[in-house]
Amino acid sequence: MSQEKLQSHTVQTTGHAWDGDLQEYNNPIPDWWLYAFYISVLAAVAYWFTYPAWPIGNGFTTGFDQITYVNDKGVTKTTHWNTRALLMHETNEAVAAQKPYFDKVAAMPFEQIAKNPELNSFVLSAGKQLFSDNCAACHQQGGGGKMDFAPNLTDDDWLYGGHYANIQQTITDGRHGYMPPFAEVLTDAQMTQLADYVLSLSHNAVNPESAKAGDVLFHSETAACYYCHGVDAKGRQAHGSANLTDSIWLWADVPDAKTIPLKEAAVKNVIRTGLNKGVMPSWKDRLSAEQIKLLTVYVHELGGGK
Amino acid sequence: MAVTALSSTEQYNFDIVKKFSIMTMVWGVIAMTAGVYIASELAWPFLNFDIPYITFGRLRPVHTTSAIFGFGGSALFATSYYIVQRTCQSRLFSDGMASFTFWGWQAIVVLADISYMLGHTQSREYAEMEWPIDILIEIVWVTYLAVFVGTIMRRKQPHIYVANWFFLSFILATALLHTFNNLAVPVSLFSMKSYSLFSGVQDAMTEWWYGHNAVGFFLTAAFLGMMYYFVPKQAGRPIYSYRLSIVHFWALSFLYMWVGAHHLHWTALPDWTSTLAATFSIMLLLPSWGGMINGIMTLSGAWDKLRTDPIMRFLIVALSFYGMATFEGPLLALKDVNALSHYTDWTVGHVHSGTLGWVSMITFGSMYHMIPKLWDTKIWSQKLVGIHFWFASIGVLLYITAMWISGILQGLMWRAFDQYGNLQYSFVESVAAMHPFYAMRAIGGMFFLTGMVMMFVNVAMTIRQARGEAAELEAKMSAKMVKSGMAGA
Repeated sequence: MSQEKLQSHTVQTTGHAWDGDLQEYNNPIPDWWLYAFYISVLAAVAYWFTYPAWPIGNGFTTGFDQITYVNDKGVTKTTHWNTRALLMHETNEAVAAQKPYFDKVAAMPFEQIAKNPELNSFVLSAGKQLFSDNCAACHQQGGGGKMDFAPNLTDDDWLYGGHYANIQQTITDGRHGYMPPFAEVLTDAQMTQLADYVLSLSHNAVNPESAKAGDVLFHSETAACYYCHGVDAKGRQAHGSANLTDSIWLWADVPDAKTIPLKEAAVKNVIRTGLNKGVMPSWKDRLSAEQIKLLTVYVHELGGGK
Repeated sequence: MAVTALSSTEQYNFDIVKKFSIMTMVWGVIAMTAGVYIASELAWPFLNFDIPYITFGRLRPVHTTSAIFGFGGSALFATSYYIVQRTCQSRLFSDGMASFTFWGWQAIVVLADISYMLGHTQSREYAEMEWPIDILIEIVWVTYLAVFVGTIMRRKQPHIYVANWFFLSFILATALLHTFNNLAVPVSLFSMKSYSLFSGVQDAMTEWWYGHNAVGFFLTAAFLGMMYYFVPKQAGRPIYSYRLSIVHFWALSFLYMWVGAHHLHWTALPDWTSTLAATFSIMLLLPSWGGMINGIMTLSGAWDKLRTDPIMRFLIVALSFYGMATFEGPLLALKDVNALSHYTDWTVGHVHSGTLGWVSMITFGSMYHMIPKLWDTKIWSQKLVGIHFWFASIGVLLYITAMWISGILQGLMWRAFDQYGNLQYSFVESVAAMHPFYAMRAIGGMFFLTGMVMMFVNVAMTIRQARGEAAELEAKMSAKMVKSGMAGA
């Protein structure tokens, strides 16, 4: 070390000086640096011989590495290494590994899938991913839904029915909720009465007189609420009309309204403007029938399936 | 002594260097404040306050532009004008043109920042400025080239000092990159909106040819120029090896231009392009290290300076981070590593070990060396320089450690499969997992910003002190003159 130090002191500078004292030693390039650089060049050359590397005319050097994969038409192909073939190759393997599970899901009725422990684990694993990628944006992670936006899928309240077949149809074809606006049909006082009646169904301490008047109006031809919501106000799943008696709210934020007038206002707002926003898209073009079936079982198991 | 100082200010245009140095401090504080704010927005999103002008998407280019072009750019103008004059022993080619580069450059960064906040962007990373600003950059940059080359041509030294090679390659490469990456067609003469001349993967390729060489020539070659002057000056020792400086300069300049495509691995980019970029990245490792070795070895024999001289600490730690970042770079450029690291915070950490660890640290060290010389005084507080060093170091370490953990965690979560071959985590779960590291990163940034504010204060006080000293000197001189005048009478 001390010898080396001594040596470096005896090394000459290049003989130039700038800005007073700026000089340069004429030390040779360190050997380790030079050899390491040569090795990195050799590594690069090895890489070029393995993978596609240099463009030549309209083509390129392909390299010696090869990949075998099965294409969309089921034909086995072997080509030089390339990212597309690698994707196909890895997808082939992944699809083959999952095929037995998907075949069983496709062949079995819903109830049996749910009862089969192995398949059920598979459904939970694949369903979580499908749900997170496709459903959670509206229904939220875990399926808890969001007020004034998307229904909760973990309770036992189902606008369009909570049986396997209903859920499957909902996912496959989508849904579009609609309630006409009553702003031009009813007076403000009438809407207050209706709101009070609706609120009384879920045990809110509203003015009983007003609620009673609302009851009459609800079942009259003037407002005709019972057409869709039913005589018992429990809704009709064939229409997707809401059950108004179960204290579960989607479009009127009654739970967060602290006082009766605020609760009335929330309900009246829905009556006044109607609804044309309960849109669930159709997934049949994005998901396969097996994926929808699997997702149906998953959603059913979120807690509220019938 | 006073006489020599006077003559050197006459000989050289230090006024322009002073102006750019002050703006380096100003942009440093602005850029790092913006950085800390957007890092905090990621950790605590309520900080968006639903105000469009300060959302992450708009403030992020404000941060990068203020940091790269405001802080880094001003530092490079300042040091290159300082170094080229001192090592060529000649005054700048044109004071008027130099002054134009100052006002032009400051206007560019201000206009760019405002336009981003108002929502104008080309959506090209590090080249977000819309076309009118791009044209202004082009004009200022060509003027810069003329001033720099003009000064070199007027040199009174037979040889061109190595720092100037690096500055010249930076100016030329940046002109080339800026021009071709910003070829775009405006929607109309009175619209800020424009569309790129290239489309699809060719557009992406052009952008990353620009993006990576902005790193290579703006943030590396130019700051190596800074290193090649201030490290030997501060160490009081000659550069370790002239031969190494030649070889690594040409290797660096040649190899950098090929590697931009490594930002586009596993995309629609042709595989051969990807391979070339990866291999040239590997070959770039040693040429990059050439600069680090030359800098660090320059200090060999004077290592004791690290104990006593905080400026030397800044410079040497900067070189260490440079070495680390240029080792990490080729690693990340390998396709298989990139498959894990790309689109994660690892990239962000890598960039910041370069920008905070290398670019900022070398700038701090150089400015602490140069500013007292410019104003012909001593630094106001040497102690504060030492404290700044520790704040900056702790800041960088917190920042990059947070981003390493967060980035690798993200990468692993995104590719984790369960026993059924399904992805184990949803994307939102990986977002939730990032939170503690985002908070840690914001805290690291706060340390770094605090150090920057200390430097700002220190520089401001140094300038004040210099003015006081100058006034005192003038008073003494005039008193002397009055006295001698009286004696003469």
